[in-house]
Formats: sequence, structure tokens, C-alpha cells
Amino acid sequence: MRPMMISDFTTRLHTPLSKTSSDLSKMAAIYLVDVDQTPVYTHYFDISYIPSTVFFFNGQHMKVDYGSPDHTKFVGSFKTKQDFIDLIEVIYRGAMRGKLIVQSPIDPKNIPKYDLLYQDI
Amino acid sequence: MAPAQRCPLCRQTFFCGRGHVYSRKHRRQLQAALDRLLPQVEAARKAVRSAQVERYVPEHERRCWCLCCGCEVRTHLSHGSLTVLHGGLLEHLASPEHKKATNRFWWENKAEFQMKEKFLISPQEYAQFKKSMVKGLDSYEEKEDTAIKEMAAQIREVEHSRQEVVRSILESQAVPDPEEGSSAPGSWKGTTSQITSTSQWPSYLDLPPAPELDWMETGQPLTFIGHQGVFFFFHFQLQDTPGLGNIHSGATPPWMAQDEEHSSGNQQIGPSYEEFLKEKEKQKLKKLPPDRVGANFDHSSSTSAGWLPSFGRVWNNGRRWQSRHQFKTEAATRNKQQSKKMVS
Repeated sequence: MRPMMISDFTTRLHTPLSKTSSDLSKMAAIYLVDVDQTPVYTHYFDISYIPSTVFFFNGQHMKVDYGSPDHTKFVGSFKTKQDFIDLIEVIYRGAMRGKLIVQSPIDPKNIPKYDLLYQDI
Repeated sequence: MAPAQRCPLCRQTFFCGRGHVYSRKHRRQLQAALDRLLPQVEAARKAVRSAQVERYVPEHERRCWCLCCGCEVRTHLSHGSLTVLHGGLLEHLASPEHKKATNRFWWENKAEFQMKEKFLISPQEYAQFKKSMVKGLDSYEEKEDTAIKEMAAQIREVEHSRQEVVRSILESQAVPDPEEGSSAPGSWKGTTSQITSTSQWPSYLDLPPAPELDWMETGQPLTFIGHQGVFFFFHFQLQDTPGLGNIHSGATPPWMAQDEEHSSGNQQIGPSYEEFLKEKEKQKLKKLPPDRVGANFDHSSSTSAGWLPSFGRVWNNGRRWQSRHQFKTEAATRNKQQSKKMVS
């Protein structure tokens, strides 16, 4: 599985990811992507806030219900390493069973809140 | 002995006649029952002065057991979405049937006379309660109004902050526009004219970084990068409207999009002719030889002399092909001798 975290290069925002990468090496490979260098993907995934994390399994984009309006990516940084590990495990288990969308195990109060700006309503 | 009588308070049948009510057990049971009922009546009595009105909640369906009447009574009075606390109980306590039942109860069980007044509500008190109920309803309506106004103000505030964000982004975008040298004066028109000229994805992300906005209260800010949708407030019909080519709108992912270099005509899928012939040969070898002994052996088929496993020998040693080879050479020499004989 490949979660791709889209951010700029500030290290403080993705330390949970870097610290857990060895623990999760059997389940997931973690990649850091710069928004400025991938405009096509930034546009496709509608990335407006960084850091955002997008999850893939065997080339298939995985959606997760975090309780936030957008299921296609995780917006914001992870509060604890354990949150991130739990999320990866849930996505991995769901994907191995053939699911395309799973329910996030993270506590809703640890999920960052953000405002959605719509194009025109 | 007196006839059997059942005391509902003690839940027991006794044969003492009227003497039972003076027994210790009965008095104890009576005291316990009245102690259970008393707090609820007291709470209702407090509500006579100041009635409380609240929003209806299923918990307000709770009922109370009236000891004197021997029936269940609704504690709170609810109508529609509002509830008046202890309204039902007060109504019951003020009713004349309850007064009668209370008198009878006191007489039958020989309870203390002074306690009786505590379990009765006079009609005057009930009228007082009704007045306070009206007041309570008014104050509740006022409270609801203020709550709604507060919520509206909050929503307005949020909307306002959103508009501020949008405006600040558009203003920051006004800075790089003069560099592009487009003829249009306004900042937005400059961007959109640039878009119409190019068919590739326009480079929105070449803008200077947008102001960092803290959306999270936990102190870890989310950085807001230029949102493509913001620039299309106007109803422009563009060929490559980015709002359409999104994951949310169900567009094909970039990695699934057909490449222009490999068009479907040039590529041939499937094996070439040589590969097909090779595959055919392999298939042939898969089949077992037709004269192999097995379940499907055709008994009517003719077999050669070398078909049997042993070539007429007894002390076989070594591999089958060795004995077969020997058999063939012997057969050949035999045939030669025979043909020689025939000639001569």
C-alpha cells in the first residue's frame, strides 16, 4: 500500500510518518510528494490544504470515511503515531478484503477540522 | 379465625382480620411506601411556585405510581415539543378522585394523620401552578429566540470569514498578473484570458504562496494552497474547466488516461504466429500416446511386436530402451536372414 503525503518540505508536519515508516514497512510504503512538482495530481485530487495524505492499494485509490466532508484524502497532520498506524492497518485490512472504502479508526477529535471552499453553489 | 384478606401493601394474605394493620410489619411497609412517594410529591410541590418548561425528551414519558389510587400517573406534562416538569403529577394530586382515594387509604391502613396533608394538593395551589406555568412558557420562548439568534450570528460570522479568505487570495493573486503582460486590466480577467490561450493545465501553482491560515485550534496549522475552484467565480465556458476534471466529479485518473504515443492501432495484442505454432506443439506433447495402456485403451487397435513391456525376455535387467534396442536389432537380423532365405 502506498500512502502519499503531499506537502511542502517542512519536517515538523510529517514526523509521525517518518517515525512509523519502519514499523509499517511490511504493510505500506510512504512517499512524500511536493505539490508544486505534480500539478496534474494536485488538481485531480483537489488538494487545497497541505499536508494531505492519499492512500493507494495496488494502484487503486482507497477512500476512508474520517467523519470529515472529504473521503478521498486525509487533510492535516496526524496527532499521534498510533493514529497513523491504526489508520494504515484498517486500510490494509479493508483493501486485502477487496473493499474500496473503509471507516477510519481515529477519534474524531484528533482529526483536523477545515473549511471547504466550493467553486460555485 | 377471620376470613382471608389480602393486604396489597405487604403483598400478603393474612387471617387476623382488622388486627393486621396494627402489626409491626404492616406499619414498616407503609412507612417505606410513603417514604418512596414523598420525594416525588415534594418535587412537584416545589414546581407549584416556579414551573419549568423544557424541550421534550423521551425521558419525559416516565410515570409514577400513586400509592393511594393504585394507578400509574404521568409525571411530566408534555404537549408537542415542550414539557412542563411535574405537571402531570400535580394535576393528579389536585384531582378530587385522588383526595377520596387518599382518605380511604389513610383510613384502611391507619397511617399517621399529619402525613396525609403532605400528599394532597389543594385547588388553590393548582391554580397557582397554572399561573407559573404560563410564565414559564413565556420565558422558555424567549430563551429559544435568543439561542436561534446566536446561532444565526455564528453562521454569519463563519460565512464572513470565508469571504475574507477568498478575497485575500484573489488580492494576492493580483501581484503576478502585471508581469504576464496581458492586456486585460483586472486581476481576474488576466488569469482567465491566460487560461483560454493554453490548452494544457494552467500554472496556478506558480503564484507566490498564499497567506498561511490557521484552521486548526490545536496549533498545527494547515497551509492553504491556491484552490483552483476559487478562480472561476464567473460563468466562463472553458474547454478545460478544471472543476470538471476532478476526483469528486468522477474524471479518469491521470495514470489511467490513454497515452498519446501509443495509439491503439499500432499495438497488437496477443501472440505472434511463431508463438502460436510453438504453443500448438506443446499442446500435442501434452496428449498421451494413443497406444498407451490405460482406461481409454482401444482394444480393437493393432499393436506392434514391441508393444509389450518385456520383449519376451525373462531375466530383464536395465532400462526398457536397452531391451527394446536389443529386440529391434534381433528382429532386424531375423528379417535379414529370412529375406536371404527367400532369395536363395
